[in-house]
Amino acid sequence: MADPRQPRTTLALMREMGLTEEVVARRKAFLEFGAEDVERLRGLHDLAAQYADGVIEDFYSHLLSFEETQKFFTDPAILARVKAAQKQYFLELTQGQYDAPYVEDRLRIGVAHERINLPIELYLGAYNFYLRTVMLRLVEGYKNNPEQSTATLGSLLKLVFLDMGLATETYLFRRERTIREQQEAIREISTPVLPLRERLLLLPIIGAIDPPRAQQITTQLLQSIRAHRAKVVVMDITGVPTVDSAIANHLIQTVQAARLMGATVIVSGLSPEVAHALVRIGVDLSAVNTVGTLQDGIEAAEQLLGYIVSKAGDTGTSHNPAGS
Amino acid sequence: MDSRSWTSTCSGGTHVVGESRVPIKQGGDIITARQQGRALAAQLGFSSADQTLIATAISEMARNILVYAKVGEIIVRPEHNGKAGITIIAHDAGPGIPDINRAMQNGYSTSGSLGVGLPGTKRIMDEFLIVSEVGKGTTVTMKKWKT
Ligand SMILES: Nc1ncnc2c1ncn2[C@@H]1O[C@H](COP(=O)(O)OP(=O)(O)OP(=O)(O)O)[C@@H](O)[C@H]1O
Ligand SMILES: [Mg+2]
Repeated sequence: MADPRQPRTTLALMREMGLTEEVVARRKAFLEFGAEDVERLRGLHDLAAQYADGVIEDFYSHLLSFEETQKFFTDPAILARVKAAQKQYFLELTQGQYDAPYVEDRLRIGVAHERINLPIELYLGAYNFYLRTVMLRLVEGYKNNPEQSTATLGSLLKLVFLDMGLATETYLFRRERTIREQQEAIREISTPVLPLRERLLLLPIIGAIDPPRAQQITTQLLQSIRAHRAKVVVMDITGVPTVDSAIANHLIQTVQAARLMGATVIVSGLSPEVAHALVRIGVDLSAVNTVGTLQDGIEAAEQLLGYIVSKAGDTGTSHNPAGS
Repeated sequence: MDSRSWTSTCSGGTHVVGESRVPIKQGGDIITARQQGRALAAQLGFSSADQTLIATAISEMARNILVYAKVGEIIVRPEHNGKAGITIIAHDAGPGIPDINRAMQNGYSTSGSLGVGLPGTKRIMDEFLIVSEVGKGTTVTMKKWKT
């Protein structure tokens, strides 16, 4: 609420997570959450408003009596703020509207908890206490109508599980996204172009190649070819876990682009079995100069550049003037 | 009955090879699906060359899902229909393929790629069935038998 951009962020998140109206409707259907549930929950609203403060007090005294949760509330101002937010959340449970804004709100709760790094088991544990506190009061409030009490409790459980599902999913989604972003960041910096010798570059590729990365690799390679006036490049793909036709296509295009700049690319590290599978699928690898290992690649490159590669012993004899 | 067969499976110590499902939502999932397929093929006793063919077939279908349908699922499961084999199902609820005959031709690609994924995968598998409906999605079911 303090941050006016917050609602927009959650809206975007909702889209990213694929939580369309249809998807939410499917979830409600799976929970068998229907019009009667909405009615029952709405009918609970007055009672809920009466005992809201009591529930919140019990809830926070529980949280404050455990070390694990206490540490999140060391600042009294924060405590006051979350209590107020909690009360609002509590009243929303029975307000009778469980549409897109409601879902968005649940996501916001998930985001808030993930941001403070609240462990998921504490979230679930706290929710359990919360639910039991509410249950006692609900049973008490409906003591003259046990049937209504059970039915309402059932409706509440459905809604609560919908909520918990949304909140925990947000958690997971954000964690997964963080991991993905980190992987991307690592990949960005992990495609070095190494000048091995004059006119010879080594491009070791580690990790999966996808279209944006392929583009980045090609650009980086072409720039390096120009900067080093390279004639031969060894592109080592030993560390690439998947090579299928789409990846092969990227490799072929990189090779062709380098050729236009006057450099020959040798691809090393393509396993014979993968190469065979690609050929059977119909990938034409004839434009690509492939060799088995990185070592083979460097040797082939040196030959292309006219370096004489021979064993130290041989060199010793042929270059020994005293020998003649 | 159920509990008995469950107990015997566990106490017998033989690990029953089952089905696995891999949601395809991002690039890394292709690798996961490929690994699952390769692992199952290895457990079923496929040769190393066949394991690679199976893994490559999975890559092709998983990448098609990612590129053309954005999300979908790969299911790999053992087949014990008299002979041993592996079944792979690639399913998505994406845009579907308007002209399957054309998509099955070598060199036909709407993404500027090589256009060999579908016809090539059909070549390396023993059975290949593609069902696609525009606006509904695409399902490829393919099998490879142990030789
Ligand atoms: N799951 C899918 N959903 C929608 N369209 C698809 C799907 N899979 C394939 N197609 C369509 O069929 C065409 C041919 O697919 P195929 O895999 O044979 O080639 P490609 O993906 O274009 O190139 P390559 O696989 O060689 O990188 C694609 O270009 C695309 O238009
Ligand atoms: Mg393809």
